[in-house]
Amino acid sequence: MKGLIIKDLMCLRKRRITYIYIVVVVLVVSIMFVLSARFGNIALAQRSMMTENGVTDIDVKNLSAFVLSLFMTLSLAMVGDVTAIFWADGKAGFQNVSAIMPVSIEKRVLSKYITISMFFGIGVTTDLLLAFVISMLTDILTFGTILKIIITMASALFIYGAFICLYMFVFGYGKESFAQFSSIMTIIVALVLFNFSKVKRVFVYSFSDKTEVIDVNPIELIMEAIKDHYLMVLISAIVTGVLSYVLSVFIAKRKRGLV
Amino acid sequence: MEEIKNVIEIKNVSKDYGDFKLDNISFCVPEGSICGFIGQNGAGKTTTIKAVLDVIDIDEGEIFVFGQNIKKDSARLREDIGVVFDEMGFHDFMTGKDINIMMKNIYKNWDENVFFDFLKRFSLPSKKPCGDFSRGMRMKLQIAVAMSHNAKLLIMDEPTSGLDPIVRNEIIQIFGEYVTKKDHSILLSSHITGDIEKIADEVVFIDGGKIVLSGNKDEILKTHEEGKLEDIMLFYINRKN
Repeated sequence: MKGLIIKDLMCLRKRRITYIYIVVVVLVVSIMFVLSARFGNIALAQRSMMTENGVTDIDVKNLSAFVLSLFMTLSLAMVGDVTAIFWADGKAGFQNVSAIMPVSIEKRVLSKYITISMFFGIGVTTDLLLAFVISMLTDILTFGTILKIIITMASALFIYGAFICLYMFVFGYGKESFAQFSSIMTIIVALVLFNFSKVKRVFVYSFSDKTEVIDVNPIELIMEAIKDHYLMVLISAIVTGVLSYVLSVFIAKRKRGLV
Repeated sequence: MEEIKNVIEIKNVSKDYGDFKLDNISFCVPEGSICGFIGQNGAGKTTTIKAVLDVIDIDEGEIFVFGQNIKKDSARLREDIGVVFDEMGFHDFMTGKDINIMMKNIYKNWDENVFFDFLKRFSLPSKKPCGDFSRGMRMKLQIAVAMSHNAKLLIMDEPTSGLDPIVRNEIIQIFGEYVTKKDHSILLSSHITGDIEKIADEVVFIDGGKIVLSGNKDEILKTHEEGKLEDIMLFYINRKN
């Protein structure tokens, strides 16, 4: 199994430079943003928003935190796309090699999940280093808050990765786009179902005459979810990972010789 | 008298794909022999090989490898089997060194010295991506991998097809050397009967998913007037039609 994980890492060897480049860009842009939010044009814009548009200090902080969270997600998203491994395996016909190895189907599937977890380990470690640097420079976000953001983002992207694996086993090699689309749709549907009442309110509001004032602020909702529900997202990621693995093994056994 | 052991025993195996059926096939590969598995394209050779390796599920029958049911512990039994397929399955970017790193973490008995010796013998560069290899080089690379983990049984699916006669002879010579060790055996599938005729001890002929003929090669050649395996194969195909 270790050999299969090594092979997966080899498949992404070419991405190393891109990953380092993205991490450096994220760090530079984050620092520039933090400095600008304190002393530069972003600070000026925020002040004018507060005086002219009735935006509160908390809104400004949330918006800044949201922007920083997006930066942090970039370096995680880079490692989150595991379709590249499936694409490379399918192109080479690697299933012919892996099927004849002395490795059980369970272990072959598990190797993919371990690879994803390892990527996220790398992503989270890099993000933690970035978070440490950013938290030293700003009071927009404390290290604790950034940690919660990282846990939430990493968990959310792990859920995406787990769905990708599952759908790749369902659709087979060469159907990476279908797997990506289906994973995104599954996550959207799950989010809508879990937040049905809020989504319904937004939906109803968008088709109404808009005279009613609605208190649903998407950025505030996301930041609230990150700060208050990060453990729930983490647990969801673990549960999704386990369920996805069990289902993937079941499918891989049924489709022996194909995946 | 010493009892002849079989490394592969296929008993009444069937597999129905709808448009093609492997129909109740049975044959054995004795230990220490080279068994030529002959048939036209689409006759069922690859399906049979995949069934032997437990890569596909069979509908009926039993398959024993080294005396053990392949269904029970196929992953462990594969430690002792080296396999070469018609198409190489390694990623184009992988070099010989990459393959060595991967394989030594998969096979318990992987011997990197043997592997690099084979690469040297086959004149395969260990630092060049295998995507840049010719078909012959790719086949040699697969053979090097199959023979570098002390496998007792080699299963080859059309290893010589599409290769020039010089490379084919070289590969056949390597197979001959491999079976000089007492407990080493080969199941060699091919539609090129000339290769089988050169090295095989046993012959199994499959056509339309059914075993038409199987047994000792010399005895088969003796009992048929045609004189050559190719002619015998054609005789059975024409008789069916």
